Amino acid sequence: MKLQVKLALYNTLTKVAIILFTGLLILLSIEKISYNHIEVRLEDDKEETLKSLSSGEINSFLNSQKVYTDYNILKEEFITITPEAKYNPKTTNAIKFTTETRRVDRNIQTYRILSHRFNFKGHTYLLEIGEAIESVEELKSIIKKFTLLVLFIALVLTLISDLIFTKFLLAPFYKIIDRKLIKVNDPMNFDYEKIKTTTQDFELLDDSISSLMKKISNLFILEKQFIANVSHELLTPISIISSRLENILLHEDLSEGSENKMHASLKTLNRLKSIINSLLLISKVENNQFDKVDVVMIAGVIKEIHEELEDRMDEKHLTFTNHIKYIYSIQGNRPLMHTLLFNVINNSIKYNNPKGTITISDELTEDIYSIIIADTGAGMDQKQIENAFNRFEKFDTDEKESYGLGLAIVKSITAFHNIKVQINSVKGKGTRVKLIFDHHNQLH
Amino acid sequence: MNVLIVEDEKGLALEIDEFLSHEGFTVEHARTKKSAEEKIFVNNYDFILLDLGLPDGDGFDLLKMLKGLDKREDAVIILTARGAVDDRIMGLEQGADDYLAKPFSLSELLARMHAITRRKHRLESNDINIKGLRVNIQNRTVIYNDERINLTKKEFEIFNYLVLNKNRVISRTNLTEHVWGDVLEINSDSNFVDVHVKNLRKKLSQYIPIDWFETVRSIGYRINI
Repeated sequence: MKLQVKLALYNTLTKVAIILFTGLLILLSIEKISYNHIEVRLEDDKEETLKSLSSGEINSFLNSQKVYTDYNILKEEFITITPEAKYNPKTTNAIKFTTETRRVDRNIQTYRILSHRFNFKGHTYLLEIGEAIESVEELKSIIKKFTLLVLFIALVLTLISDLIFTKFLLAPFYKIIDRKLIKVNDPMNFDYEKIKTTTQDFELLDDSISSLMKKISNLFILEKQFIANVSHELLTPISIISSRLENILLHEDLSEGSENKMHASLKTLNRLKSIINSLLLISKVENNQFDKVDVVMIAGVIKEIHEELEDRMDEKHLTFTNHIKYIYSIQGNRPLMHTLLFNVINNSIKYNNPKGTITISDELTEDIYSIIIADTGAGMDQKQIENAFNRFEKFDTDEKESYGLGLAIVKSITAFHNIKVQINSVKGKGTRVKLIFDHHNQLH
Repeated sequence: MNVLIVEDEKGLALEIDEFLSHEGFTVEHARTKKSAEEKIFVNNYDFILLDLGLPDGDGFDLLKMLKGLDKREDAVIILTARGAVDDRIMGLEQGADDYLAKPFSLSELLARMHAITRRKHRLESNDINIKGLRVNIQNRTVIYNDERINLTKKEFEIFNYLVLNKNRVISRTNLTEHVWGDVLEINSDSNFVDVHVKNLRKKLSQYIPIDWFETVRSIGYRINI
């Protein structure tokens, strides 16, 4: 769940709780206060009644031991004095309050009733004075409804305002994530410009990411420099050894065995040279040491490579089909584009089965050009595809000398030119490499 | 022909010296930019093999200085471990005749030197005669008794390279690199250079016996003259 939603929900819940609590408090206290009022009044009434027992109408009722009942027109108040059958000489001054529904005349209402037993002229009577509490109940229900309404409105308003506010509050956070983490696929091109925010926590986050990136890119630079320096420094000694071996081979008194060993050593040196040159190339591409000022016509490069590799294809009896329909050019580095396509096509030869096919086609959809190189070779499973671009990753091949750097080079050159690579492959069926050209370096 | 090797790595300079001396060149060394300048001022060279990274400066400066001198036809081959495409282009633009990235094979160096010689002097007499076959570098043809042997571009390259490096075993690796260039990841161990050699031998043997065109088992080829 998003932080924004979480915060809004939390705020809403706490507000609901507060409103519910105060609502209940108000309800309870209203009941209490109004009952209290009524009870005070009822007690007064009781005192009045008891004082007037001996006078007039009540007295005659009492004398004849009948039930005395009186009420006002609206039946909001009533009073009854009921003679009890048994005389109880020990009456106390206790009064009791109850809430009951009573029928008065023909009306049924809820009353707050004061009950009191008293003795009068040798008889015990039960005095009940009631006051309708309908109005209190009404008030309670109004308050209930009102509370609910307020609750609901408050709920909606706070939810909306919280969502809007947290969105505003969190905007720099998402900006940091987007600009500093998602859009950065290379620490070398990191955007160190600060994201504007007044929230200290986000400033801290921004700074932390920036300093982390700084560290990472420093390490990157160091690593690349290391590779470049080491590679460069290694090439001269290799050159010396290789020349020395060649000169030894000039001596005619060399035995055949030694001669073979010399040649084998030269071959090993050559392998070493290839690996170093490949690493050097990758490191240079990744260090942006190439410019992108050439207009490279893809179809032309493919044609060139086909000519260069024709004999390799013939040797394996491969059928090469060129279905390129568009004349598409990009702005880039021509030698690098050549190396890129060369490596891809070379792989499709290397891993192809004898008498297989290589098909090159292209498509242009919505301004995005892509070129597809499909072969009928050994293919790869998902795991192999994932690892294919790693350095020194190589698969079973008939050919002994594979350095596993071809696709690593492809990866660095495609990244350099903003070309996306898609590989579809079925084990045993073949591989389909799709190069998708970003229209940023498009050129017509 | 005399050659000046401008190279600060003594070991490498000595090996190049030994190889070229063996090929009949007169060789001089310079290990710094300063001493190279002095030598270039004093002598004319047929070839200057120029390393770019010198202890006291950049080889490009030497090249610039040389090109500033009057009436000099010294051919310059840049030898460098930098190997960057930009360096290559810059070197050639500044008037270098060729460019070899370290490590290079000495036979490749020799082939490049021969190619430059021919380009510079444009001499018909530069045709090489071998067992009655006439190899013409300019036209890239091989002629036998006024009849042109129909070789493909690659077959000619292979033959020419082997002829230039006659009496020496040329490995497949070396041959592949010469013909296909320094292409990364190309499989130098593959026998696809053999296919071309096989075709080449077949074509040549239609004209003359080719017992001098030797296959050296598991290594490569040699032309014995």
